[in-house]
Amino acid sequence: MPEPPGGPAREPDRVANPAFEIADLAVSYGPRVALRGVHLTVRRHEVTALIGPSGCGKTTFLRCLNRMNDLVPGARVSGRVDFEGEPIYAPTARPIEIRRRVGMVFQRPNPFPKSIYDNVAIAPRLAGLRRGLNELVEESLTRAALWEEVKDKLRESAFSLSGGQQQRLCIARAIAVRPEVLLMDEPASALDPVATYAIEELIGQLKRDYTIVIVTHNMQQAARISDRTAFFTVEGTDTERAGVLVEVGPTAKIFANPSERRKEDSISGRFG
Amino acid sequence: MSGRRLRDWAFWGLCGLAMLGSAAPAVSVLVSVVHQAAPVLDWSLLTRRSNAGGIENAVLGTLWLLLGVLVLAGSIGIGAGVYLAELATGRVARVLRFGSEVLAGMPSIVIGYIGYVTMVVGLHWGYSYLAGVIALSVLVLPYIVKTTEVALRQVPSALREGAVGLGMAHRQVIWRILLPPAAPAVVSGVVVALAISTGELAPLLFTVGFTDSNPSLAPLHQQVPYLTSVTFTDLSLPGARAHATAAAAGAASLAILVLLILLGRALSRRSRLATAQMTL
Repeated sequence: MPEPPGGPAREPDRVANPAFEIADLAVSYGPRVALRGVHLTVRRHEVTALIGPSGCGKTTFLRCLNRMNDLVPGARVSGRVDFEGEPIYAPTARPIEIRRRVGMVFQRPNPFPKSIYDNVAIAPRLAGLRRGLNELVEESLTRAALWEEVKDKLRESAFSLSGGQQQRLCIARAIAVRPEVLLMDEPASALDPVATYAIEELIGQLKRDYTIVIVTHNMQQAARISDRTAFFTVEGTDTERAGVLVEVGPTAKIFANPSERRKEDSISGRFG
Repeated sequence: MSGRRLRDWAFWGLCGLAMLGSAAPAVSVLVSVVHQAAPVLDWSLLTRRSNAGGIENAVLGTLWLLLGVLVLAGSIGIGAGVYLAELATGRVARVLRFGSEVLAGMPSIVIGYIGYVTMVVGLHWGYSYLAGVIALSVLVLPYIVKTTEVALRQVPSALREGAVGLGMAHRQVIWRILLPPAAPAVVSGVVVALAISTGELAPLLFTVGFTDSNPSLAPLHQQVPYLTSVTFTDLSLPGARAHATAAAAGAASLAILVLLILLGRALSRRSRLATAQMTL
């Protein structure tokens, strides 16, 4: 049975001025419901990890936060997503503006077929920035912990970098737009352990300046890097399966004291 | 020799034969055209007009027509391809694509005739440059539309998502992110379109006429000379010299073709280098 809105998934402790306030969010692709009944508060300057088995809608949820689901034909979003108090699915909301404030890093590194410099500079340049581009590129690459490795070959193709470096370049590219939030969709899943470690380190540093929401299917990773964890799962029978949010709270608490629902999932081998 | 090696040899042998079969006609056409043109082949050919046994006006006319096709069919074709790949959805896209396919299958002589009825006679343009450029453009438009659409669709969607995720406007995503890696394919589509235009006779026969003087810049009411017309006309004239001139005009068409292909390669090399390492 689906839980009524405001059931166990809703957090009791409300915070003032959250980055995101999500209420009764549901997403469907055509006739298929991907996610329903999600209530969640994303706090500022924290790392919120979204975990759960595949198909539980965690990526779908992430892509609601900067309206990336607009790109998917047939995607329908209902409910309420407030970013800094403004409803981002209101008819008056401007998706392009939202995406500048809520940056995104994808599962596989996807640098543009351009130079390292241009990858970082292109979005600010297109947004109208003319002066201080060099400084911005250096600052963004430094924050992404990549500057030392690429400062002597900024004009080389982004594809000359390793996978892990490419992913950090994508983080630098996102930072260069000066967002307030970074959304990360399993940013280390295509990388080797060393590169993964570098990315995790980086996330730890970035949370001082940014609110971070990260999807991961790796529980240990969630435990290592996040302040809060939101646990999604799939609910319903085969014909009417949909992702739901089961549990959310401080990461330490979630992992020390898993709820009944999640234990069930873990024991039945669906996750973890 | 083992059976496997024998089959291997047989396979490569057949492949080689097929290659020969496809290359031989091209080579033989090239050789025979140059051979037949040999009696009249010297540089003065390019400085005499058609009434003096040369092809100067026809070469200039063909290049002038190609420039028009490049501008008209190039801009409309690439624009329509972008529209189909990026903006059109559902029924609109299906109708447009169907229209483009019908156009692609239309015999060129029909396009020429329709051009004659609508523009030369209907609009009182007379045999004219603009009528010819439009007729040729209608003929080659589907190639440009199709290659542009396909090229854009082949750009990895991860690039599009990355660009959109940075808050770029749709127009910026198309121009700055999607079109550069698609450019080599788009350019080769345009080159094919120009190559077809170079060799076509039927759409021009009813739309631009012919003249022994060099082409004028006037878009209307002035006839335009072109190479395929020289080939067509001189072949039907008696005398070895006329036939040689016809062959020379054919050779000139081939030369333009080769130049177009080389130009297309040079233009697309830069972006191809940039995308060669794409692994997405």
